[in-house]
Amino acid sequence: MLTQAVAANVSEAMTDDPDQFAELVREHQAMVFSMACRYLRNPALAEEIAQDVFLQLYRKLPALESPDHVLHWLRWVTAHRLIDHSRQEKRRPQSPLEDAPEPAAPSRDADPLLADMLRELVAALPENARVVMILRYQEDLDPMDIAQALDMPIATVKSHLQRSLAILRDKLSRRKGVGV
Amino acid sequence: MNLDDELRAALQREDPSPGFTQRVLAARMVAHAQSKPARKAAVPRLFWATAMAAMLVIGLAGLSEYRQKKAERAGHEAVLALRIAAEKLNMARDKVVRREN
Repeated sequence: MLTQAVAANVSEAMTDDPDQFAELVREHQAMVFSMACRYLRNPALAEEIAQDVFLQLYRKLPALESPDHVLHWLRWVTAHRLIDHSRQEKRRPQSPLEDAPEPAAPSRDADPLLADMLRELVAALPENARVVMILRYQEDLDPMDIAQALDMPIATVKSHLQRSLAILRDKLSRRKGVGV
Repeated sequence: MNLDDELRAALQREDPSPGFTQRVLAARMVAHAQSKPARKAAVPRLFWATAMAAMLVIGLAGLSEYRQKKAERAGHEAVLALRIAAEKLNMARDKVVRREN
Protein backbone atom coordinates (compact mmCIF):
# COMPACT_ATOMS: atom_id res chain seq x y z
CA MET A 1 0.00 0.00 0.00
CA LEU A 2 1.46 3.31 -1.01
CA THR A 3 1.64 6.14 1.43
CA GLN A 4 -0.09 9.31 0.38
CA ALA A 5 3.20 11.16 -0.15
CA VAL A 6 4.66 8.40 -2.32
CA ALA A 7 1.36 8.05 -4.19
CA ALA A 8 1.29 11.78 -4.80
CA ASN A 9 4.80 11.60 -6.25
CA VAL A 10 3.81 8.65 -8.45
CA SER A 11 0.75 10.54 -9.67
CA GLU A 12 2.82 13.66 -10.28
CA ALA A 13 5.36 11.65 -12.25
CA MET A 14 2.57 10.09 -14.31
CA THR A 15 1.10 13.51 -15.00
CA ASP A 16 4.43 14.90 -16.16
CA ASP A 17 5.70 11.80 -17.95
CA PRO A 18 3.90 11.14 -21.27
CA ASP A 19 5.23 7.56 -21.42
CA GLN A 20 3.75 6.62 -18.07
CA PHE A 21 0.45 8.25 -18.93
CA ALA A 22 0.46 6.38 -22.28
CA GLU A 23 1.03 3.14 -20.39
CA LEU A 24 -1.95 3.94 -18.18
CA VAL A 25 -4.12 4.61 -21.25
CA ARG A 26 -3.02 1.34 -22.88
CA GLU A 27 -3.81 -0.57 -19.71
CA HIS A 28 -7.37 0.70 -19.40
CA GLN A 29 -8.43 1.69 -22.92
CA ALA A 30 -10.13 -1.63 -23.69
CA MET A 31 -12.26 -1.38 -20.55
CA VAL A 32 -13.32 2.24 -21.07
CA PHE A 33 -13.86 1.90 -24.82
CA SER A 34 -15.79 -1.39 -24.51
CA MET A 35 -18.07 0.01 -21.81
CA ALA A 36 -18.86 2.98 -24.05
CA CYS A 37 -19.19 0.84 -27.17
CA ARG A 38 -21.55 -1.69 -25.55
CA TYR A 39 -23.59 1.12 -24.06
CA LEU A 40 -23.82 3.31 -27.17
CA ARG A 41 -23.47 0.77 -30.00
CA ASN A 42 -21.48 3.46 -31.81
CA PRO A 43 -17.68 2.87 -31.96
CA ALA A 44 -16.83 6.39 -33.15
CA LEU A 45 -18.82 8.05 -30.38
CA ALA A 46 -17.47 5.48 -27.91
CA GLU A 47 -13.89 6.45 -28.82
CA GLU A 48 -14.73 10.13 -28.45
CA ILE A 49 -16.16 9.57 -24.97
CA ALA A 50 -13.28 7.26 -24.00
CA GLN A 51 -10.83 9.98 -25.05
CA ASP A 52 -12.66 12.54 -22.91
CA VAL A 53 -12.59 10.16 -19.96
CA PHE A 54 -8.80 9.76 -20.28
CA LEU A 55 -8.31 13.53 -20.52
CA GLN A 56 -10.38 13.85 -17.37
CA LEU A 57 -8.13 11.17 -15.83
CA TYR A 58 -5.05 13.20 -16.81
CA ARG A 59 -6.38 16.22 -14.91
CA LYS A 60 -7.49 14.10 -11.95
CA LEU A 61 -4.36 11.96 -11.73
CA PRO A 62 -2.59 13.90 -8.92
CA ALA A 63 -5.55 13.14 -6.64
CA LEU A 64 -5.64 9.39 -7.34
CA GLU A 65 -3.71 7.40 -4.80
CA SER A 66 -3.15 3.92 -6.25
CA PRO A 67 -3.69 1.78 -9.37
CA ASP A 68 -6.87 0.37 -7.78
CA HIS A 69 -8.11 3.91 -7.18
CA VAL A 70 -7.46 4.71 -10.86
CA LEU A 71 -9.42 1.62 -11.97
CA HIS A 72 -12.42 2.36 -9.74
CA TRP A 73 -12.39 6.02 -10.71
CA LEU A 74 -12.34 5.13 -14.42
CA ARG A 75 -15.29 2.74 -14.04
CA TRP A 76 -17.27 5.29 -12.04
CA VAL A 77 -16.58 8.20 -14.41
CA THR A 78 -17.21 6.15 -17.56
CA ALA A 79 -20.50 4.77 -16.23
CA HIS A 80 -21.79 8.18 -15.16
CA ARG A 81 -20.52 9.83 -18.34
CA LEU A 82 -22.46 7.32 -20.43
CA ILE A 83 -25.65 7.71 -18.40
CA ASP A 84 -25.38 11.51 -18.60
CA HIS A 85 -24.72 11.32 -22.33
CA SER A 86 -27.78 9.24 -23.09
CA ARG A 87 -29.95 11.47 -20.88
CA GLN A 88 -28.75 14.56 -22.71
CA GLU A 89 -29.15 12.96 -26.09
CA LYS A 90 -32.22 14.71 -27.45
CA ARG A 91 -31.96 13.66 -31.05
CA ARG A 92 -32.18 9.97 -30.28
CA PRO A 93 -35.45 9.35 -28.46
CA GLN A 94 -35.35 6.39 -26.08
CA SER A 95 -37.88 3.66 -26.66
CA PRO A 96 -38.66 0.90 -24.19
CA LEU A 97 -37.13 -2.47 -24.93
CA GLU A 98 -40.56 -4.04 -25.36
CA ASP A 99 -41.13 -1.74 -28.37
CA ALA A 100 -37.80 -2.53 -29.97
CA PRO A 101 -37.96 -4.50 -33.20
CA GLU A 102 -37.30 -8.19 -32.83
CA PRO A 103 -33.77 -9.05 -33.92
CA ALA A 104 -33.29 -11.46 -36.78
CA ALA A 105 -33.38 -15.09 -35.67
CA PRO A 106 -29.89 -16.56 -35.62
CA SER A 107 -29.21 -20.23 -36.12
CA ARG A 108 -27.92 -22.30 -33.20
CA ASP A 109 -24.44 -22.43 -34.69
CA ALA A 110 -24.22 -18.73 -35.46
CA ASP A 111 -22.71 -17.55 -32.21
CA PRO A 112 -21.44 -14.26 -33.69
CA LEU A 113 -25.00 -13.42 -34.66
CA LEU A 114 -26.30 -14.36 -31.24
CA ALA A 115 -23.57 -12.25 -29.64
CA ASP A 116 -24.52 -9.32 -31.85
CA MET A 117 -28.18 -9.78 -30.97
CA LEU A 118 -27.34 -9.83 -27.25
CA ARG A 119 -25.28 -6.65 -27.62
CA GLU A 120 -28.19 -5.02 -29.40
CA LEU A 121 -30.65 -6.08 -26.71
CA VAL A 122 -28.35 -4.89 -23.93
CA ALA A 123 -27.89 -1.55 -25.69
CA ALA A 124 -31.68 -1.15 -25.78
CA LEU A 125 -32.07 -1.56 -22.01
CA PRO A 126 -32.83 1.52 -19.87
CA GLU A 127 -29.74 3.56 -18.90
CA ASN A 128 -29.06 2.29 -15.39
CA ALA A 129 -29.92 -1.32 -16.22
CA ARG A 130 -27.62 -1.14 -19.25
CA VAL A 131 -24.63 0.03 -17.20
CA VAL A 132 -25.33 -2.60 -14.55
CA MET A 133 -25.38 -5.35 -17.20
CA ILE A 134 -22.14 -4.08 -18.78
CA LEU A 135 -20.35 -3.98 -15.43
CA ARG A 136 -21.69 -7.45 -14.58
CA TYR A 137 -20.87 -9.23 -17.84
CA GLN A 138 -18.07 -7.19 -19.38
CA GLU A 139 -16.18 -6.32 -16.19
CA ASP A 140 -17.31 -9.47 -14.34
CA LEU A 141 -18.11 -7.47 -11.19
CA ASP A 142 -20.40 -8.96 -8.57
CA PRO A 143 -23.51 -7.03 -7.49
CA MET A 144 -21.75 -5.60 -4.41
CA ASP A 145 -18.92 -4.15 -6.53
CA ILE A 146 -21.42 -2.77 -9.05
CA ALA A 147 -23.36 -1.12 -6.23
CA GLN A 148 -20.14 0.52 -5.01
CA ALA A 149 -19.05 1.54 -8.50
CA LEU A 150 -22.38 3.23 -9.24
CA ASP A 151 -23.30 4.48 -5.75
CA MET A 152 -26.45 2.43 -6.06
CA PRO A 153 -28.22 0.25 -3.44
CA ILE A 154 -27.35 -3.41 -3.90
CA ALA A 155 -31.05 -4.31 -3.99
CA THR A 156 -31.46 -1.99 -6.98
CA VAL A 157 -28.50 -3.62 -8.72
CA LYS A 158 -29.94 -7.10 -8.18
CA SER A 159 -33.33 -5.91 -9.35
CA HIS A 160 -31.82 -4.46 -12.56
CA LEU A 161 -29.95 -7.70 -13.21
CA GLN A 162 -32.97 -9.94 -12.67
CA ARG A 163 -35.31 -7.77 -14.71
CA SER A 164 -32.80 -7.33 -17.56
CA LEU A 165 -32.09 -11.06 -17.74
CA ALA A 166 -35.81 -11.81 -17.77
CA ILE A 167 -36.32 -9.36 -20.63
CA LEU A 168 -33.40 -10.81 -22.59
CA ARG A 169 -34.65 -14.39 -22.06
CA ASP A 170 -38.11 -13.37 -23.17
CA LYS A 171 -36.81 -11.63 -26.29
CA LEU A 172 -34.55 -14.52 -27.18
CA SER A 173 -37.14 -17.23 -26.52
CA ARG A 174 -39.50 -15.59 -28.98
CA ARG A 175 -37.05 -16.38 -31.73
CA LYS A 176 -37.36 -19.83 -33.11
CA GLY A 177 -34.25 -21.90 -32.54
CA VAL A 178 -32.93 -19.94 -29.58
CA GLY A 179 -33.56 -21.75 -26.33
CA VAL A 180 -32.41 -20.12 -23.07
CA MET B 1 -27.21 -22.38 -24.04
CA ASN B 2 -26.27 -20.58 -20.84
CA LEU B 3 -27.32 -16.94 -21.04
CA ASP B 4 -24.69 -15.82 -18.53
CA ASP B 5 -21.91 -17.35 -20.62
CA GLU B 6 -23.35 -16.00 -23.84
CA LEU B 7 -23.54 -12.52 -22.32
CA ARG B 8 -19.94 -12.73 -21.11
CA ALA B 9 -18.84 -13.76 -24.59
CA ALA B 10 -20.91 -11.06 -26.28
CA LEU B 11 -19.81 -8.28 -23.93
CA GLN B 12 -16.13 -9.13 -23.64
CA ARG B 13 -13.71 -6.25 -23.87
CA GLU B 14 -12.38 -5.11 -27.20
CA ASP B 15 -9.68 -2.61 -28.11
CA PRO B 16 -10.43 0.74 -29.73
CA SER B 17 -9.15 1.40 -33.24
CA PRO B 18 -5.36 1.56 -33.79
CA GLY B 19 -3.79 4.85 -32.81
CA PHE B 20 -6.23 5.52 -29.97
CA THR B 21 -3.42 5.94 -27.40
CA GLN B 22 -1.62 8.39 -29.69
CA ARG B 23 -4.81 10.38 -30.19
CA VAL B 24 -5.32 10.59 -26.42
CA LEU B 25 -1.70 11.71 -25.96
CA ALA B 26 -2.11 14.36 -28.66
CA ALA B 27 -5.25 15.64 -26.95
CA ARG B 28 -3.34 15.58 -23.66
CA MET B 29 -0.59 17.73 -25.21
CA VAL B 30 -3.20 20.25 -26.33
CA ALA B 31 -4.77 20.27 -22.86
CA HIS B 32 -1.30 20.64 -21.31
CA ALA B 33 -0.46 23.57 -23.62
CA GLN B 34 -3.77 25.25 -22.82
CA SER B 35 -3.07 24.98 -19.11
CA LYS B 36 0.37 26.67 -19.50
CA PRO B 37 -0.91 30.28 -19.85
CA ALA B 38 -2.43 29.88 -16.41
CA ARG B 39 0.99 28.94 -15.07
CA LYS B 40 2.60 31.87 -16.91
CA ALA B 41 0.01 34.22 -15.43
CA ALA B 42 1.20 33.18 -11.99
CA VAL B 43 4.71 34.49 -12.74
CA PRO B 44 3.73 38.17 -13.31
CA ARG B 45 1.61 38.04 -10.14
CA LEU B 46 4.65 36.83 -8.20
CA PHE B 47 6.83 39.43 -9.92
CA TRP B 48 4.49 42.31 -9.04
CA ALA B 49 4.09 41.11 -5.46
CA THR B 50 7.89 41.00 -5.04
CA ALA B 51 8.31 44.40 -6.69
CA MET B 52 5.69 45.98 -4.43
CA ALA B 53 7.26 44.43 -1.33
CA ALA B 54 10.67 45.74 -2.39
CA MET B 55 9.27 49.25 -2.97
CA LEU B 56 7.62 49.18 0.45
CA VAL B 57 10.90 48.20 2.14
CA ILE B 58 12.81 50.91 0.25
CA GLY B 59 10.15 53.48 1.16
CA LEU B 60 10.25 52.58 4.85
CA ALA B 61 14.06 52.67 4.86
CA GLY B 62 14.00 56.13 3.20
CA LEU B 63 11.49 57.44 5.73
CA SER B 64 13.59 56.14 8.61
CA GLU B 65 16.73 57.80 7.15
CA TYR B 66 14.86 61.10 6.66
CA ARG B 67 13.63 61.09 10.27
CA GLN B 68 17.13 60.34 11.57
CA LYS B 69 18.68 63.19 9.58
CA LYS B 70 15.93 65.54 10.69
CA ALA B 71 16.64 64.68 14.33
CA GLU B 72 20.38 65.22 13.84
CA ARG B 73 19.77 68.60 12.19
CA ALA B 74 17.46 69.64 15.05
CA GLY B 75 20.17 68.64 17.52
CA HIS B 76 22.79 70.73 15.70
CA GLU B 77 20.41 73.72 15.59
CA ALA B 78 19.75 73.39 19.32
CA VAL B 79 23.48 73.34 20.08
CA LEU B 80 23.99 76.39 17.85
CA ALA B 81 21.12 78.21 19.62
CA LEU B 82 22.66 77.43 23.01
CA ARG B 83 26.04 78.74 21.85
CA ILE B 84 24.48 81.98 20.58
CA ALA B 85 22.55 82.37 23.82
CA ALA B 86 25.75 81.76 25.82
CA GLU B 87 27.63 84.38 23.79
CA LYS B 88 24.82 86.90 24.32
CA LEU B 89 24.88 86.24 28.05
CA ASN B 90 28.68 86.68 28.12
CA MET B 91 28.38 90.00 26.28
CA ALA B 92 25.70 91.18 28.71
CA ARG B 93 27.78 90.13 31.69
CA ASP B 94 30.84 92.00 30.27
CA LYS B 95 28.77 95.20 29.87
CA VAL B 96 27.48 94.95 33.44
CA VAL B 97 31.02 94.42 34.77
CA ARG B 98 32.31 97.41 32.78
CA ARG B 99 29.60 99.76 34.15
CA GLU B 100 30.29 98.71 37.71
CA ASN B 101 33.97 99.50 37.27
